Amino acid sequence: MKKIQYYISALLLMAVAAMSLSSCGEEKLDDTIFPDVDETLDPASYTYKLDKFLKDNYLDKYNLTFLYKMPDVSTNMNYNLVPATYENSIDLAVLCKYLWFDVYDKVAGEDFLKSYGPRIILLIGSPAYNPTSGTEIVGLAEGGIKVSLFKVNAMRINDFNMMNEYYFKTMHHEFAHILHQTKTYPNEFNTISIGHYDSNNWQDRSVGQVASLGFVTTYASSEFREDFAETIANYIVKTDEEWNAILDLAARGWTSGDEDDVTSEFYCYYYYPDNDATADPVYVRMSNVFIEEDEDGTVHKYWRNNTDKEGNRIVVYDVEDKDGIDGVEAILQKVQIARTWLQDAWGVDLDELRNEVQYRQTHYDINDLRKQVTEIQ
Amino acid sequence: MNKKMKKFLNISLLTLVAISTLSLGSCKNEVDEIFDDDAVARLEKAQAEFTEILTSNGGKWQMEYYANSKEPGYIYLMTFDKNGSVTISGKNKWISSVDGGTMGSIAYGSQTSLWEVVTDNGPVLSFNSFNKYFHLFADPEDIPSMNEEDPDETGYGHEGDYEFDLMKYSNDTLYITGKKYGIDMIMTRVPASVDDEVYMNEVVAMADSFFHAKIPYVYINLPNDTRWIVKNGATSILKMFREGADEISTAEEHNVIITHDGLSFMEPITLDGYTIRNFIRQADGSLLCRDDNQTTMTADHLSDILLMNTLRWRLDADKMQGTYASLIQQFASELTAYNKSKFVYAQLDYTGADDTYEIIFNVKRSSTTFKPTFYMKAQRLGDNQVKFTFLPEANAAGELYRQRCPSLESIIQAIGSATFDIDANSLLAPVNLKLSDNANSANSLLWVIM
Repeated sequence: MKKIQYYISALLLMAVAAMSLSSCGEEKLDDTIFPDVDETLDPASYTYKLDKFLKDNYLDKYNLTFLYKMPDVSTNMNYNLVPATYENSIDLAVLCKYLWFDVYDKVAGEDFLKSYGPRIILLIGSPAYNPTSGTEIVGLAEGGIKVSLFKVNAMRINDFNMMNEYYFKTMHHEFAHILHQTKTYPNEFNTISIGHYDSNNWQDRSVGQVASLGFVTTYASSEFREDFAETIANYIVKTDEEWNAILDLAARGWTSGDEDDVTSEFYCYYYYPDNDATADPVYVRMSNVFIEEDEDGTVHKYWRNNTDKEGNRIVVYDVEDKDGIDGVEAILQKVQIARTWLQDAWGVDLDELRNEVQYRQTHYDINDLRKQVTEIQ
Repeated sequence: MNKKMKKFLNISLLTLVAISTLSLGSCKNEVDEIFDDDAVARLEKAQAEFTEILTSNGGKWQMEYYANSKEPGYIYLMTFDKNGSVTISGKNKWISSVDGGTMGSIAYGSQTSLWEVVTDNGPVLSFNSFNKYFHLFADPEDIPSMNEEDPDETGYGHEGDYEFDLMKYSNDTLYITGKKYGIDMIMTRVPASVDDEVYMNEVVAMADSFFHAKIPYVYINLPNDTRWIVKNGATSILKMFREGADEISTAEEHNVIITHDGLSFMEPITLDGYTIRNFIRQADGSLLCRDDNQTTMTADHLSDILLMNTLRWRLDADKMQGTYASLIQQFASELTAYNKSKFVYAQLDYTGADDTYEIIFNVKRSSTTFKPTFYMKAQRLGDNQVKFTFLPEANAAGELYRQRCPSLESIIQAIGSATFDIDANSLLAPVNLKLSDNANSANSLLWVIM
């Protein structure tokens, strides 16, 4: 009864309110209170060349606004952020085109990004730090529309690893989010590593530990969607050598140096002091292990060049993989799901995409790319 | 109809009446038009007006910038160009840190970046591309300040703003408020002909002239003759408490900015009912409050500064005048004649006991320094007047040298017989004190703080 009364009352109120509002209908509504975006560019402007490049290559072509002048209000005000430098904005504008938009145009066709690409790319000079957890946000995709790239002021244009980790990978990571926010990926992906995600402490995990569990990065181990985006992004941007290194880590067994400390380092090698197998094992970093191969192909592993009391070299052993997960298989399964999904849902060949990115990211000349902006008249 | 239902219907009816009333009222168009234009037009107009204000007359402005209430403010010069660029110049220790300078150094930096007056709830001055000398206070990265207590600021930075609500323009002054952290700041127009680096050097020179590390505290002198002690002036975080009050329980801290012509508090402060904020440097080195034209900031009275137990003063022999100059030259000659020793310098300080002061004449012979020392009582005759009375005895070196060098005894006699009027290079940082003989001002001594 109470419930019925509520609905009746609410309807009455709505009717009166609607009548009241409709009686105001003669009032002419003004135009939007938001100012129109002036699309005419002033050649005298300090930023004319970049603005022209962005208009021609992003706005007119993809209906995409490339924001490099950062309005703080358009960001999460809980973070302390600063704008990008103008110079780095030019570099990232041309790199985004070359390594992201041009790649998809070539592999997926020119209409692909027009239809499914983000509508806003926002450059932010600093990372978004979370001092409590000690983490930082380097990229953000929101609502399938907006991609924010952070840490732009820290760009070292000639440092390939840095550029790859913080910018190139982020582009593909965030775009993967945009895509799956538009068409969901198969739930099967989420089942592969179920039970092994840790959204609170992923940053304290080690690369080897998570690889063995089937994740390409520690961040991938935070949750399903990040795992999905990280799998695609890392597969696309990592060189063969880097990708195989991830699989190598995934094939190993790992153990914590201190079971009681969640932040403790993880190891995949150990030795016995003085080669005495009755002693407690000592864990060692990979960088301290010497690997030698006999003429007959037998592999030997030693701890540095140290010897025991009898002058024999200290033998190093592999940590047994006890997590019960085939890390390599898990990662490859995830890649395969992503590959199939991209092909079926989007008509995009992941490996063709990867090959194109791999080629481009090792063959670009930033000075040539910059000319697209600097030589605008 | 039960009670609950009655109550419900009553509430519903009341609500209906209220909404109808409101709705009807809103339809009558009886609200007076306050503005001629709609909100969009007014915002665009304000945007254009402030853009014009910022770029006109050469577009050069001084910003009194505060990142937060716990740090000093810093002056920045900004030249706004209509093409959307702004050149920002500053000179401070953080610029030095950003450029990898050495500990404690300050450095000048100038860089061109972008600006725009944008519209939000009102016109907003946005520095919307990164300028490494200006955005450093907003940057969440840690800036190593190289002092022992330097905290890791990663994630927080200095929490400074780079977007400012444009609140008001009046008399070439823009009143702005940091958009995120809400600190009120001021921008004042500067002639376009001003050279940024020269201007910033003058600001730094001004800062250097205000507070001297050896002067332990200065005073804010209020119109009602009460004084507030001000400590830590050199840090620009002033620790203040009323003279005679307990420092620990009553002291308050206020951050200030050294400007091109004086000093300003971040926000108005009220001391004993007097509200003060902006001080202008006067010709005598003191600071005069621009807000009431009465309150001043000075060091202690000069006689008290001279006689402060913790200070030591060195006689500037080259700037002695009259009798004293002749006598000190004579003393130097007599030393050479006596044993080829040389007069190095004389110093005045407190002996540490019995309200007794001393003048030590440092004399060097070969590699050995002798210190003929004469003891005296000091008499404070006024705020700027003092008299010394020498005690009969001196230390052993003093007794020896007064016998061998008669002019030394003459110096002692001359100082002891005079009443000195004291003048200073600056009333706020009186580190050079000129003591002139009241009977004959041509005879004077210049004491420099050690």
